[in-house]
Amino acid sequence: MHCYQALSALPQAGPGRLGATRRMITEHPGTLLSIHETSSRRLRERIAELTRRFLRGKQPDFMKQHSRALDDYFEAAFESSRIGPRMQINKNPYAIIALGGYGREEQSIHSDVDLLFLFAKRVPTDAENLIREMIYPLWDIGMDVGYATRSVKECLTLAASDLNILTPLLDARFICGMSMLFSDLMSQLRDKVIRKRRDRLVDQLLAATRSRHAQYGDSAYLLEPNLKEGQGGLRDYHTMLWTARLDTDLRQPRDLEYLGLLSHAEYQQLWDALGFIWSARNHLHHICGRKCDRLHFETQIRIAETLKYRAEVGQQPVERFLGELHGRMEEVKRRHLLLQHELGVESRGRRRRPAPKSPVEGIESVSWGMLNFTGPEAVLKRPELLIRIFEESALLKAPLSPEAKRLVGEFLYLVDAGYRSTPEIVRAFERILKAPDADFSVLDDMHTTGFLEAFIPEFRSISNRIQYDEYHLYPVDKHLLRTVQTIKQLAGGEGSEPLFTRVYQELKSKVLLAWAALLHDVGKGDPREDHAEHGAEIVRRLLAEKGLTAAEVDTVAFLVREHLYLIKTATRRDIHDEETAVACARRIMDPDRLKMLYVLTVADSVATGPAAWNDWTAHLLRELFMKVLNILERGELASEEAVAVLERKRTAVLGAAATDAERGELGRLFEVFSPRYLLSVPAEGILAHIPLYRRLGAGEFVWDIRPSAEGATRTVTICAKDRPGLIASMAGVFTLNNINILGVQVFTWRNRVALDVFEVTPPPDTIFEAEKWQRAADNLQAVLAGALELAEALRPRLEASRVVRPKGVKRAHRVRVDNTISSFFTIVEVFTYDFPGLLYLVADALYRCGLDISVAKIATKVDQVVDVFYVRDINGQKVDTAERVSAVKEAVLARLPRLE
Amino acid sequence: MLKKVEAIIKPFKLDDVKEALNGIGIQGMTVSEVKGYGRQKGHKEVYRGAEYVVDFIPKIKIEIVVAADQAEQVVAKIRDAAYTGKIGDGKIFVLPVEQAVRVRTGETGTDAV
Repeated sequence: MHCYQALSALPQAGPGRLGATRRMITEHPGTLLSIHETSSRRLRERIAELTRRFLRGKQPDFMKQHSRALDDYFEAAFESSRIGPRMQINKNPYAIIALGGYGREEQSIHSDVDLLFLFAKRVPTDAENLIREMIYPLWDIGMDVGYATRSVKECLTLAASDLNILTPLLDARFICGMSMLFSDLMSQLRDKVIRKRRDRLVDQLLAATRSRHAQYGDSAYLLEPNLKEGQGGLRDYHTMLWTARLDTDLRQPRDLEYLGLLSHAEYQQLWDALGFIWSARNHLHHICGRKCDRLHFETQIRIAETLKYRAEVGQQPVERFLGELHGRMEEVKRRHLLLQHELGVESRGRRRRPAPKSPVEGIESVSWGMLNFTGPEAVLKRPELLIRIFEESALLKAPLSPEAKRLVGEFLYLVDAGYRSTPEIVRAFERILKAPDADFSVLDDMHTTGFLEAFIPEFRSISNRIQYDEYHLYPVDKHLLRTVQTIKQLAGGEGSEPLFTRVYQELKSKVLLAWAALLHDVGKGDPREDHAEHGAEIVRRLLAEKGLTAAEVDTVAFLVREHLYLIKTATRRDIHDEETAVACARRIMDPDRLKMLYVLTVADSVATGPAAWNDWTAHLLRELFMKVLNILERGELASEEAVAVLERKRTAVLGAAATDAERGELGRLFEVFSPRYLLSVPAEGILAHIPLYRRLGAGEFVWDIRPSAEGATRTVTICAKDRPGLIASMAGVFTLNNINILGVQVFTWRNRVALDVFEVTPPPDTIFEAEKWQRAADNLQAVLAGALELAEALRPRLEASRVVRPKGVKRAHRVRVDNTISSFFTIVEVFTYDFPGLLYLVADALYRCGLDISVAKIATKVDQVVDVFYVRDINGQKVDTAERVSAVKEAVLARLPRLE
Repeated sequence: MLKKVEAIIKPFKLDDVKEALNGIGIQGMTVSEVKGYGRQKGHKEVYRGAEYVVDFIPKIKIEIVVAADQAEQVVAKIRDAAYTGKIGDGKIFVLPVEQAVRVRTGETGTDAV
């Protein structure tokens, strides 16, 4: 059909050959049409057959045969073309050239076809018809064909200015037509375009790779790789070919080996890796039914099935497929970067600088700033060179040459059990762990040469192990290396974690942290166990072998066992509850360990992927860290002594239980008690308070009054429903009833129950003491119910307290507000002289400032008093702005009497 | 008739709320990490003299679409599970929903939730 349309564009038929052609076509319409249509139909069938065979695994050279089929079509089209010969005759010879992927004979199932119709001088107007004649039938069978029509000169001009036109030309391959045109183009391309711009082109290719890697190296692409553009994707390989073609006469991929750019083994490995990726890509094309390069989750599963991957312990088929794919793409990426380095790409600048010298005997600098052994004998003579070269690599920031890497691989057998635990070797390894990274990672090199696994055999079980979920991005072994790398980056101030940098600098032993970072997931090799616990065991054995001291092994094992603890606590516990921080502090016990754990947690999360680390998570973790650190540094709540005391009390209290049910209830109550309550009150006291609490029920308060040992004072234990102003109310009622307060301890449990212990003088009239206490209780009831206005009732009594005449040295009243001691409370300290109503006035002042008292300790010494209040505002916040702090101070001072 | 229940809760309460909802037969919900700017203000922490100001409080937002007659029960369950009694417990909102469609099958209305 299209051919007819094309024909109608032909100039009017006249005498001569042209007219004859037109007449022939119009008189025999079937002729031209059928030739091309048959041809294209045959092509389609051929491709379909090739595809079928490929899907059955019976066409290993699918892409080459696919290209051949296309070549055959074009050759046939060329032969039977009507328009072509006409153009030749008019001195307009042309050639059909394959470009890009088609040129490289890498036609995947739905790859597009990239063509160049090359003309000697100008592109004739007939060219359009030629295109239609040849290409339309391909469009008709649904192929995606792109073409350019250019003269040789136009090609050169465009290639000189646009890398995206040059690179497909570098892959050009002659199909049919005038072959001289093709060779002419290629030699002119070399002479006029490439030779002059070689260095600049090399830079451009490198820049293109970098930006491509940056764009497609994003975390998302590790879960769903882009087979073409991703790091280690096909584009990396294409860039290798292009770069090589700039310098050499490379015709086919094998020339990479023949021209000495790769060894035979390296070429074979690369080719195998590419074969795997191509196979995956073709399956991907087939599943999508169109050209595509991104391996989405669904397709991954299907391809894993098609390629007959089987599940293994703890690994689904798709994980094994992805694991292998990642390994192959790593291979391609490595080869690519190495080749660019070798072709002097990276170090063009460095070529002018002298290569750094290594002072180590047996290691030398070779071309382009890389390191190598002076010879295999050197390694045999001194096996420690195997690790020394990595150490030099880190120090001098010079990568190993391909030869050096080959040698390392060949001499891995020297890394035996003795080698692994030789102290100097271990020390060298530790130095490598700590050394800052250059733009390549020495640990990565150690890993890819196999040295790391030889030195730490436990790494084998986690090699290329992928975790198939949207949370984990990197295979486990890569993740561990990345964690080490992340610590170095963040410590150096990269990224936005200033707290990390500060804390890191304070660490006593950075090398232990590095060990923990390197090994923290090593327990994942066995999916049946809790990997943190399991890892800690593995690490103990491993590091003992390496000769670390018992204390050092303890620390690293601790870090590995607890590497998830901080983040779990931060996201699953109420970090605004002091008890959470206290429990955390008691589990970690040592501030230095806490800091290491914090640093490890941040690095681990960053190295896992963006789902694991963001602003939101960072905030939670930071808050928890600071609170726990504060508690550890203050010592009182989480010291070893505190923990021991707690354990003793717990045993004592639970031991008093008569039945299992009671023990269960007591155990639950223990969770409800606040940390300060548990530390301050002796076990007998706790046991006495429990029945009191049971009596509280739904009431407002209950109290218990006992005489002290000598009988001179009374201990009033009040258990009440906590509310703001409670202390003021209680103190006020005591004052109202002429009961002197000698000391108070205020506690608030986690279920909003107040437990206050007052040490008081008994009411003056001891005969009717019981009635006096009853009246006090009634007063308190009334106050709490709002029926009794304390301020009014106390007014006459407080008149007498307007002035105080201290004996001895007169000191001014003082109010101190501290916000540093506790992360949870503001501490208000009042230094003054004792007088009736003091506690009421101070507590009331705090209440009127909108503050709630959680803990208090009031003590009287002769006539001096130090009252300590742990307060928070009604929003649960500390009082930490300057204005509010002054307001509180003024409010309290205003209620205190004049000194005379 | 459908309703959307949106709840902002404290992060550590997520598991409790999920469990409570599973208990009344609700399996599907959308969870996001959000930043809260409310009365429970962020504050500054000081470490070795350097200030770290954080002006938001991390919260979790849960969104569920349910049949209108289930909304009240859902709200109650969420509230119970998310409650601590301290400031910052969060809020729950109920909004009307015009339509719901299940992408795979095309079902609409209550069949889609």
